[in-house]
Amino acid sequence: MAVKIPHTMDELPTSEPRFVGHGVRRVEDAGLITGRTEFIDNVKLSGMLHCAILRSPVAHARIAKIDTSAAEALPGVVAVVTGEDAARWSHPAAAVPEGWGLPCLPTDKVRFVGEPVAAVAATSRYAAEDALEQIEVDYDPLETVSDPVAAMAEGSPLVIDERGTNVMMQRVFTWGEVDAAFDGADHVFSERFRWNRLGANPMETYGCISEWNPADHTIVVRGGFQSPSHMALGRAATFGLPSNKVRMIAHPHGGSFGGKGGVRGTDISILLSRKCGGRPVKWIEDRMEYLAAGGSQAWDRRYEVSIAVKSDGRVTGLRVKLIDDLGANGEGFGAISAAKPLASFTGPYAIGAAQYDLTLVATNKVPASPYRGMGPPPHNFVLEQMMDIAARALEVDPAEFRRRNFIPKDAFPYTIPSGNEYDSGDYEAVLDKVLALSDYQKLRAEQAAARAQGRLVGIGVASAIEPGVFDWNAYAVVGVQGTGVPEGATVSFDILGNASVRVGFALEGQGQYTLAAQLVADYFGLELDAVTVTPLDTATAPPHFGPGGSRLGVALTGAVLGACDRIRTKMSAVAAALMQTEAANIVYRDGKFTIPGAPGAEMTVPQLAGTMLGASHLLPPDIDPRPEATHVWTAAGRTPVDEEGRAKSYLTAAQAVHIVGVEIDRDTGMVEITKYCLVDDCGTRLNPATVKGQTEGSVAQGIGAALLEEYTYDSDGQLLTSTYMDYLLPTVNDVPVLEMDEVVTPSPCTPLGAKGCGEGAIHTTPAAVMSAINDALAPLGVRANEVPAAPNRIWNLIRGANETPASE
Amino acid sequence: MSSDTPKEPMRHAVSLRVNGREHTVEVESRMTLADCLREKLALTGTHLGCEHGVCGACTVLVDGQTARSCLMLAVQADGAEITTVEGLAVDGELHPIQEAFVEEHGLQCGFCTPGFLMSIHELLAENLNPSDDEIRDVLGGQICRCTGYQSILRAVHSAAAKLRAANPAREPSAA
Amino acid sequence: MKPPPFEYAAPSTVEEAVSLLVQHDGEAKVLAGGQSLMPLLNMRFARPAAVIDLRRVAGLTDIREEGGALVIGAMVTKRAIERSTVVANRQPLLHAATRWIAHPQIRNRGTVGGSMAQADPAAEYPAVAIALDMELDMVGPGGSRRIPAADFFVTYLTTALEENEVLTAIRVPVFPSGTGWSIQEVSRRHGDFAMVGAITTLRLDGGRVADPRIVLFGVGATPLRARGAEETLAGSEPSEDAFAAAGAAVAAEIEEPLSDVHASADYRRHLARVLTQRALAEAARRAT
Repeated sequence: MAVKIPHTMDELPTSEPRFVGHGVRRVEDAGLITGRTEFIDNVKLSGMLHCAILRSPVAHARIAKIDTSAAEALPGVVAVVTGEDAARWSHPAAAVPEGWGLPCLPTDKVRFVGEPVAAVAATSRYAAEDALEQIEVDYDPLETVSDPVAAMAEGSPLVIDERGTNVMMQRVFTWGEVDAAFDGADHVFSERFRWNRLGANPMETYGCISEWNPADHTIVVRGGFQSPSHMALGRAATFGLPSNKVRMIAHPHGGSFGGKGGVRGTDISILLSRKCGGRPVKWIEDRMEYLAAGGSQAWDRRYEVSIAVKSDGRVTGLRVKLIDDLGANGEGFGAISAAKPLASFTGPYAIGAAQYDLTLVATNKVPASPYRGMGPPPHNFVLEQMMDIAARALEVDPAEFRRRNFIPKDAFPYTIPSGNEYDSGDYEAVLDKVLALSDYQKLRAEQAAARAQGRLVGIGVASAIEPGVFDWNAYAVVGVQGTGVPEGATVSFDILGNASVRVGFALEGQGQYTLAAQLVADYFGLELDAVTVTPLDTATAPPHFGPGGSRLGVALTGAVLGACDRIRTKMSAVAAALMQTEAANIVYRDGKFTIPGAPGAEMTVPQLAGTMLGASHLLPPDIDPRPEATHVWTAAGRTPVDEEGRAKSYLTAAQAVHIVGVEIDRDTGMVEITKYCLVDDCGTRLNPATVKGQTEGSVAQGIGAALLEEYTYDSDGQLLTSTYMDYLLPTVNDVPVLEMDEVVTPSPCTPLGAKGCGEGAIHTTPAAVMSAINDALAPLGVRANEVPAAPNRIWNLIRGANETPASE
Repeated sequence: MSSDTPKEPMRHAVSLRVNGREHTVEVESRMTLADCLREKLALTGTHLGCEHGVCGACTVLVDGQTARSCLMLAVQADGAEITTVEGLAVDGELHPIQEAFVEEHGLQCGFCTPGFLMSIHELLAENLNPSDDEIRDVLGGQICRCTGYQSILRAVHSAAAKLRAANPAREPSAA
Repeated sequence: MKPPPFEYAAPSTVEEAVSLLVQHDGEAKVLAGGQSLMPLLNMRFARPAAVIDLRRVAGLTDIREEGGALVIGAMVTKRAIERSTVVANRQPLLHAATRWIAHPQIRNRGTVGGSMAQADPAAEYPAVAIALDMELDMVGPGGSRRIPAADFFVTYLTTALEENEVLTAIRVPVFPSGTGWSIQEVSRRHGDFAMVGAITTLRLDGGRVADPRIVLFGVGATPLRARGAEETLAGSEPSEDAFAAAGAAVAAEIEEPLSDVHASADYRRHLARVLTQRALAEAARRAT
């Protein structure tokens, strides 16, 4: 019998859901709020040693000699590893594109400042860091290439000599009649943009405790993994082990946002454990390590963008040329971030033709890693800037310009030129709601009055698609194989009718355990605290990926509800047998299995669970007596890419419109956000409080991206922003009070109609803030085309305008 | 005096009262208070986010005042009264600030939360009716990457209201 | 990010502290509030053989008035200064400057002596010291001495304090009555180190600017006292034009502004002009 997963709230066998759709308190919070939750650095294992990693102080150099003898002789030091050990015992970790990977410890040369060169296992982290200072490394410096355009040129120093080039990939995607669109346009607008490196920076860095078992050559790693199964398969490949010889135990971790990183540190700690005869080795990445060499940096981009526009304001073509500096290799999967824009290339607009000229380049910087949004946020920024440029030239209000170009609400499901399909949406409703929420006309009137006083006041209107529920399929364009990202959950009852959910991922902050508990509690009519949620390790967990690509809310809901449905089917059979009728006569609703028309013929979920577990002799022999089931959910209908990289990739398309007001102090270039209104539509909100939390958090990250966060390198490849004094994270004083509202257009193709929403507002916020800034600068005839809009940059623009006549 | 040759580090006996309980531990001079709490006293609720005093995740109370425990040596805490997050709940019953955080969803991953709780504890111990500005002044020294701060602000106001209701005799503001 | 090994001592008198510094012959560092030293230790940028903690030293934590000045012990925390009604009433510039420093959690432990000895170019206290003509008391093996602020700040992170001396107190003049003052900063975020800051004090004498004092921080290795601009401004009417001219003069006086990822030299020079102008206007509004 096919598993039936409810597509709408009405399809739940629950008359009045008490938990799903409500902002219930999170089940995770008891441990977190008291400081008891077991983050990885809280864990002590018997015989455990501590790892510290020696890192290259130079960006590009041959390793002439490494002498670890003095370090090895220090009391408290148990083992030291170098590239020799890595070469002997491991392969380079997976990289995208394929072939652009490097060993976790090099033998030949170092390729970025902070690259691991050697590592120590000692009795304390303090002692391990002491030992690092006793390791002698002779470097023969090589010419550094830290600029991607220089790296692309003939004769540039090569980052990975064996590749023969620094260009990891170069490809032009053409979708639809692009040339015709531009030839037939009434206007063509072009602009260049620069988006600087920034990254995830969860408050907890990566950490792990690795154990190599010398007796049976198995590996066990405990750590703060975002995707335990992904890490496990990766380590199996790296160490040449069968996949069932590697077990990852995921711990609750302090955020990830894609950029937890930690692959090299994990592999290094495994090498150390092996060298120590199997003792557990703990590596806790410190913050400076994270900033310089962790999963911390993303989206180092140079854009040239053009749009073709008709005189009625319709945008008919979009050309995006991107040079993406991915750093020293592909181990951070930065290439995937360059490919994800295909999922929403033309944004919420009915643009019929598009082209993507993509070059991925290697330089002597840390490999680019994932960050929330996984690539579209800079893409959306450039697209929205072009919409504003066109609107201004055509003298159309930017909100109206977007309205004219929105995909209409009756056009869904809508396939965009780059191949993905948007499931549903009502973009005009979202726009209308935020215009009302912000009192847009009043904002424009106030702006006019302020401008008359010479103040630089701007209003930005930006809209973006927030793709949800990622699949691997579209990443075939950068060499990733495979389709399908499963998420499994096992739901089971104990003899008293209390429920548990077993999943394969650990807490990361999005409230996913609460979601699982809400679903089971409502499905079976239980109290919320009658449901526990437990993570299993990779050896025992159901198939899983965990959080990522705004998938887990939808995927977990599918897995949990699928498991619930399977249990319902089993329990119906048991109830039928016990009540001596056919299973087809049993109706399940609100925790009870009944025979309609037979009053008193009723069995509750706890009764059935208790019978199945305690009195299975009463059951017919062909019935599985366990009140538990596992369901694995994958998104249906994911297609392989065609010759132009088109595929149905992300299952859902959430959408938002943000309206932002800023004022720029023309004497200092400081930007103040004076108003922030947003309306978003992510379908059914399974827990409105946690959805709101994701939105609020991603707005803050988006503001950080627009105004504060930037990794700066000098021409020698030295990182100048190496502490939190210089890499600036938004604080409470950098985020304005948000005015938020919602539209709910359920997805027709997901459990309960929810859309992926975890990455959220970071898709839209940087575009909206930059839009407001450029609106403020418009009277001066200058544009901020570089992100972040740091005050020094803004002031340079203003100064430039003051020195030349304004062109308005 | 050459610092090339590692010397036997000085070890100190440190007595500190943590969450109302006396402890005496032996530490190296260089051991931070944060590491002492976490490793010697198994009080792992105080977290390390940056180890250079910016993020505030390691914030504890030392003699009633907030301090970055990553910027203190354990030896500096000899004789001090320390409060960590583990000292807030009493026998499993959450402190009103903790309760407010849970109600208002003022936490997501929870890693920065203990530091926030201690800073808010210091604020509300002095001022039961803090203004938005006063709250922002204190919270400006604590970084959260998950929440975007809106829910934390709501939680502080809610906590203040709870504490005012529980302490009707107290003057709302010390200032 | 764990500190390298060092010895630790917490002497109970200044003399003992000095003696320990002498004993370690330049390889020891004084620990006050730790908010500057501890990050350097955690990052292993500082590698002292010994750390001499002043927390137990008697006599360094008072605030008192003495002969028209406030005498503030070197170990007085910024929190104590911020909350001191004596300071708020008698030297409001120092009070206001304190509110700009970092965050309450840092001010709880950071000390006035530590700030002065650290001499960060972007810090408020050294600039206030110059603006107010503070004097700094220190004790070394040869006894005690008193140095005017103008001679104390030598260059980037370097002061006149010898490696075997301990700062014991600062002497803070109170304003003559009628003095207007201002401190203004531009920083990336609230509480960050200033990119540029300006402190101004002045009186109005017969409706004209008298004794103007203009000090910039964040523009050079030490706080910059813009004497040229002060001279031009003295005797002028307190007008926007005069303040603008003073700002331009300040900008011209800065030889080689600092430059880093947050602010270029040009930008700092410009901010110095803008903040000088704004601070003079505010000081003039405060003057009576």
